[in-house]
Amino acid sequence: MSMLNVSSSPHLRSPHNTSREMYNVVLALLPATVFGVFHFGLHALLVILMSVVTACGTEYVFDYIARRPNTLWDLSAVVTGLLLALCLPPSVPLYIPFAGALFAILFTKCFFGGLGQNFMNPALAGRVFLLISFGTAMIDYSYDGVSGATPLATLNEGGTVSVLKMFLGFASGHIGVSVAALCVGAAYLIYTDTIKWKVPAATLVVFVIIMGIAGPGHFAPLYIGAELAGGGLILGAFFMATDPVTSPMTGLGQLIYGGLIGGLAALFRLKSGMADGMSYAIITANLIVPLLDKYIIEEPWGVGKPGQVLPSEEEMANKKPGIAIPRSALVLCLITAIAGVALGGVYSLTKDTIEANQMAANLAAYQAVVPGAENFAYDEAISASLEEAMAGDYYADGAYGKTRVNEVVAGTDASGNIVGYGLSVTSMEGFDGEITLALGIAADGTVNGISFTVINETAGMGMKADEPEWKAQFEGVKVDSFTLNKSGGSTADNEIDSVSGASITSGAVVNAVNTGLDFYHNYIQ
Amino acid sequence: MSYKFRGGVHPNPNKELSKDKPFVTLLPKGEMVYPLNMHIGKPSRPVVKKNDEVKVGQLIAEADGFVSANVYASVSGKVKAIDRRMTGASVPAECIVVTNDGLYTPVEGLGERTDYRTLTKAEILDKVKWAGIVGLGGAGFPTHVKLAPKDPSEIRWIVANGAECEPGITCDDRLMQEHPEWVVDGVRIVLQLFDNAKGVIAIEENKPEAIAAIEKAVEGDDRISVLRLAVRYPQGGERNLVHAVTGMYMGSGALPASLGCIVDNVWTLASIYKAVCENTPLFEKGFTVTGEGANAPGNFLIRIGTSVAEVLEAAGGMKEETKKALLGGPMMGLAIPNTNVPLVKANNALYLMTEDEVEQAEAEQTNCIRCGRCIRSCPMGLAPQQMMLAAKRGDLDRFIALHGLDCIQCGCCTYTCPARQPLVPTFKLFKPRAMAYNRAKQAAEKGGK
Repeated sequence: MSMLNVSSSPHLRSPHNTSREMYNVVLALLPATVFGVFHFGLHALLVILMSVVTACGTEYVFDYIARRPNTLWDLSAVVTGLLLALCLPPSVPLYIPFAGALFAILFTKCFFGGLGQNFMNPALAGRVFLLISFGTAMIDYSYDGVSGATPLATLNEGGTVSVLKMFLGFASGHIGVSVAALCVGAAYLIYTDTIKWKVPAATLVVFVIIMGIAGPGHFAPLYIGAELAGGGLILGAFFMATDPVTSPMTGLGQLIYGGLIGGLAALFRLKSGMADGMSYAIITANLIVPLLDKYIIEEPWGVGKPGQVLPSEEEMANKKPGIAIPRSALVLCLITAIAGVALGGVYSLTKDTIEANQMAANLAAYQAVVPGAENFAYDEAISASLEEAMAGDYYADGAYGKTRVNEVVAGTDASGNIVGYGLSVTSMEGFDGEITLALGIAADGTVNGISFTVINETAGMGMKADEPEWKAQFEGVKVDSFTLNKSGGSTADNEIDSVSGASITSGAVVNAVNTGLDFYHNYIQ
Repeated sequence: MSYKFRGGVHPNPNKELSKDKPFVTLLPKGEMVYPLNMHIGKPSRPVVKKNDEVKVGQLIAEADGFVSANVYASVSGKVKAIDRRMTGASVPAECIVVTNDGLYTPVEGLGERTDYRTLTKAEILDKVKWAGIVGLGGAGFPTHVKLAPKDPSEIRWIVANGAECEPGITCDDRLMQEHPEWVVDGVRIVLQLFDNAKGVIAIEENKPEAIAAIEKAVEGDDRISVLRLAVRYPQGGERNLVHAVTGMYMGSGALPASLGCIVDNVWTLASIYKAVCENTPLFEKGFTVTGEGANAPGNFLIRIGTSVAEVLEAAGGMKEETKKALLGGPMMGLAIPNTNVPLVKANNALYLMTEDEVEQAEAEQTNCIRCGRCIRSCPMGLAPQQMMLAAKRGDLDRFIALHGLDCIQCGCCTYTCPARQPLVPTFKLFKPRAMAYNRAKQAAEKGGK
């Protein structure tokens, strides 16, 4: 009789092998990939192909040269290439995905021993390498042939964005821009138990709490929605932070790691110069994973419990078997609570100071243009109408060019009566960029005068606008609006002589003042 | 609602092959081999010599010490030899070999009926010890030792383990369907030993017929209840069962008795019934032949000592493409190189596989990708991935710090590992080393104090 095979038990294996695991990730990324190509066009497809082919090619060549068994079949190189491509701008030249994928596979993966041995996510290492080395190309987000800010950049500068468009992906951004498509993939990964769900859960919870407390929009649903849908947050939280190799093994470790990513991502969004710092947040958190795995040893089932006093019959009757306390949930709450309280505390301590500083900068200007005022304060009703009036990018949809009303303060005398209003108004259309001025309007509507707070015009020409004689033209008149007289010799109250040789500067100033007047007539008077 | 534990895996239960096949009594024709180490503890001591005549139910080897068990002849015939033979564990062991005369002459008094209710506690315990009963779920721990805890009044639950969570095996299911009274009376006999205890018969939900039969048999008995368990491997693990019944976690290294439980397999309880009520020692038990490689999967009442080959032949033989034969189920069973080994008390199935998944797994092995599936699947809450790293490095301290000694070798981590890492096979080799090291360390610490 022939010999039968002998091996140690168990003799069964689940159908889930490594390549199936990777295949799942590729499958989950497919909706976002297809959307990216459909949305950004053929070049995006070329970027994706370049990245994937380079990743696979690099691994193949390395395996060949290093005389290691060919590991392409495990599909992990495909995942790396695809992930890298999805977080690149769609219009990058093709050498970018080539260099990125090469770096990702060779330096972060192959050199450290291949699959499972890398200490940080290869795709993100590749992306950060590109950000550092090819900064300009990496932040050039062209869309419909127009270079423009990503929704997140706009949001950071105080502009408004459409959350729905961002969510669906009809916006500028990296190739994997469609949050909706990514969510479909993420749901699939969680359903198939491919990713450790605690990581994205902790990331998103901590991120939302910190942004809600410390972000300018607080917990307004649209603001939080925009922050969630913006940048690489979803792609990072569900597809990169969950990279099995570089995330912790234990539940508690995953919560800490996920929370750290959420916290860092929020910190980078709020305080760094970058529009989005998800890549940096994740690779930073990657570095603490070995420590988390070393020091967090989860308590095995029932250790430390033998010899406990037997409960009474009554206690047993009330005891439901099989439900352990979800300790992980408690830990998650605790971490977020501590982080939230800490950040909230710092913010509330500094909040008044921030406002005071802003106020102080403009105070001198307001004092100059609202004579007789002892105190300046915000008026809630006016601030609310200001927010309403400034909902668009520019005041009154650009009726006065690119102008904005920044703030309005009411000046009161010693006995608390309103003696006038100070308005901070900006025109973006100075000869050399932005001009911001303080406009004083007395309680009866008479223009008291103007005082510049930001002006960088040409010395000897545009800068002449800041001379007292020229500014005096705005003083002590009660008009609906001013007009610019380029030929000089004005007589009427509402006519302003242009600074000679600087009609652009003069025009910008007049537009700014008219913006302030318009706001005064429509919202304050 | 049925009880579900943390972790575990869900391999194909594969019970359809044999679950509807009633027991067929199999009387062996060939030579019988009785290993003397069929149980955990000290091997038994032979009480027969070469050329002695033996009868069915005759004591041929007696327990050597407290943790040991008697062995009985399951056929009549002549002792051919007492020497070393190959066993299912793939190691030779001292065996009594008996030539079968095919007559099955019983010893006197075999099958004499007794009403257990007339017996004292000591008489029941003696009877269990006499019958050579050991844990028939696979462990083979002498049952009379289990039934003699330090303080019998502390025992609150007698748990009959009818989970049968190993894929393929159906002999427990058939027992509960065909002879529910054996199991239930077995529980009643044990309950007679423990005044403060209640009986719980735990069964996985995929055996509705068995649940119905047992429920009918316990009807009106308020000391015994039926507990439904979710279908999940390893539901029948002792710790999971204790938790299911008591709601308490069994500590590391603890015995169920420390939480007031005694857990016995349903076939063990049936054997207790037969010993106490029918004066029949343990020499016959249920056995399943199944798997894709079996020509005619089925359930059999086999005589202990029969060779696997003979049982297999009676079950229609195995397909030519059979690659692997297992004693036990595919999760924890032992692979045997050939079928020329005797069946022992604790064997409950012969599982024949036409595909060697371990061989395939070796081909698709990759580096560990740290996916964490092993940790999520571990019913003991361990971190197999970290234990594997420690074992590969030979780091005994780290292995112990990771609670590696609590591993029950159920195989869930290995089953679920996408990288096909040989986790449990490695632990099986490393755990004895770590245990020895731990003992030495503890001894040294004691000595130092």
